[in-house]
Amino acid sequence: MQKKSTDKAVFSRSGIELKSFYTGDDIPDEHRDRAAAAPGETPYHRGFHPSGYRSKPWRIFQLSGFGKPEDENERIKFLLKNGETGFIMEHDRNTADHCYNVDHPEVVARREDVGLTGAVMQSVRDTAICMDGLPVDSSFGHAGGAVVQHAPFALAAYWTVAKQRGFNLAKLPGTGQSDFNLTYLGCVTKEQIPTLPGLRFNADIIEFCDRYLPYWVPVSIAGYNAADTGLSPDQELGVLFANAVEYLDEIKRRGSVDLTKAAKACGGVSFRASIEFIEEACKMRAARLMWADLLRERYGITDPKVANLRIHCVTAGSKMTYQQPLNNIVRGTLMALGAVFGGVQSLGVSGYDEALSIPSEHAHQMSVRIQQILQEETGIANVTDPLGGSYYVETLTAQLAEKAWEFFEEIQNQGGYLATLDSGWLHARAAENQYQEFMDMENGDQQVIGVNCFQDDESPFEVDGFMGTDDAFDVATARLNDVLRTRHEKAAASALKQLEADCRSDTNIMPAMMEAMSAEVTLGEIGNVYREVFGNWNTPIQM
Amino acid sequence: MAKTGLDGHWRGPTIVARALRDAGFEVIMIGMANTDDIVTSAVDEDVDLVGLNVGGHIDVAIRAIESVQRARPELPIFAGGTITPRAAKQLEALGVEVYPPGSQLTDIVDAAKRLTDKK
Repeated sequence: MQKKSTDKAVFSRSGIELKSFYTGDDIPDEHRDRAAAAPGETPYHRGFHPSGYRSKPWRIFQLSGFGKPEDENERIKFLLKNGETGFIMEHDRNTADHCYNVDHPEVVARREDVGLTGAVMQSVRDTAICMDGLPVDSSFGHAGGAVVQHAPFALAAYWTVAKQRGFNLAKLPGTGQSDFNLTYLGCVTKEQIPTLPGLRFNADIIEFCDRYLPYWVPVSIAGYNAADTGLSPDQELGVLFANAVEYLDEIKRRGSVDLTKAAKACGGVSFRASIEFIEEACKMRAARLMWADLLRERYGITDPKVANLRIHCVTAGSKMTYQQPLNNIVRGTLMALGAVFGGVQSLGVSGYDEALSIPSEHAHQMSVRIQQILQEETGIANVTDPLGGSYYVETLTAQLAEKAWEFFEEIQNQGGYLATLDSGWLHARAAENQYQEFMDMENGDQQVIGVNCFQDDESPFEVDGFMGTDDAFDVATARLNDVLRTRHEKAAASALKQLEADCRSDTNIMPAMMEAMSAEVTLGEIGNVYREVFGNWNTPIQM
Repeated sequence: MAKTGLDGHWRGPTIVARALRDAGFEVIMIGMANTDDIVTSAVDEDVDLVGLNVGGHIDVAIRAIESVQRARPELPIFAGGTITPRAAKQLEALGVEVYPPGSQLTDIVDAAKRLTDKK
């Protein structure tokens, strides 16, 4: 390592200038008075409950899925057997994100890609195979549906299968995602509904869950997807709350759901935990502080159960390196540590092979083991908010919140969160950071081990990407033909017609979507309705 | 520049495009494109170099590469993205230069200059 000059200014990832040490005088006055509160008390930055992880260990919750629904089912059971405490059902991006069936020409043109990032689920029959034997009532299931236009299908299919198996929806725990940051910022699709219908879908899901699935987390805003696209930690916070107020303002406008209940529904979010892990821990603390302040000041909500933000966290995929992939086990551990110092309730650790492919079975197991070692061996779960009261951590927490509110205001000045997605303003901010991050590596200001320094790799272990199975496309094609041939055609046609009518009106689409699932309407048919009714979002980025 | 898959993560191709433009290249970005789109663009725009962002199965990229090579045998191609070491060897066997994650932008720009001067 080169000796660095000590008089050069040093900045955190959020652009906050760092001192070489901190004292009590550095903590902003306004924060100092609040900082001493116990976890679970206003202003909530110290965590969700005084007993913290003693009473409730964080959930081990890994992204998982590939191939055919039965391949995904097998992997999820493997993870559960290895100690995962919730499960996530990933859907194939080619079909799911676009609401295409496998016979769509754009999918056929890339048939080998099908199943690489999740199982292909085109009808409730496929979802039933994927869910076979999974503990949907006693565990915490993630039905998939990360992309907004896909969520109503993914959720309704999951709920329909659960219902068919005799589970009571009124008691069913779980979540989907329907994340705007993924859909319209981080990972745009070739064809997708515009942002306004997207907002309507999410409000429909919130309403439907309020009525029928009170234990379900209807939407989950993912700061992760903004951060891994390039936004800095302060911007990730600002954008997340700018997104949250779009949902809550829409619910308030509709007046159909009690706003406090809606705020609770929107208060299960996800963040990225990146490699600068002390700043990341401060980010989680700042997030809780900001959420409680936002609810009180903007909506007059003070109920502690609602004001306590619930955080799922995923370690930064983009920080996992292609070179010397076993180093990523260390990176995953450190990023997880930051999340845990930040008191998150749920955590996924990226696989060490993240830069190459979706996780192999072994990489997946390592991600679970990292979390188990933290939980069981380190003693970190014994004391809540172990960094609380640190001059540096309290100062940075307060500074991050302040900077994040500035970004939140900038977004409001641009016309609000949806406007910044539609105009490409957010994409431009992310792209600027991406480029800067790249240049820092390029000119050596940021050393990344194995990538731009210490490049000799003498590892005896060869890590090649995990490519799943090679029959996902063929099996999905056969199953699609089978469902179209054997379902009750009249019922399917009538359910699809009702869904289209509800899409065209302002009726909540979820009841019709549930009917469509029971009638075995397929994903691509639903996508065709969306394309017809809502048209295509005008993507503001060129790629 | 094109993405062979239907996965819209755009960090990689946009950073590379920016670096190439900064170096004086005109870059035509056609986004998520299938084999026919890529061949049509390579021919109609009379490009000097094709850049592929590969995010999925290598067979999809190989199909695009072989089709471009049939249409314009002399046209150089380079590729980046999540390409495993084994898949990289397959592309290199087709004469395609591979720049996996972690590659330096200067190396990519130098390659673009070298590949376009060669003709």
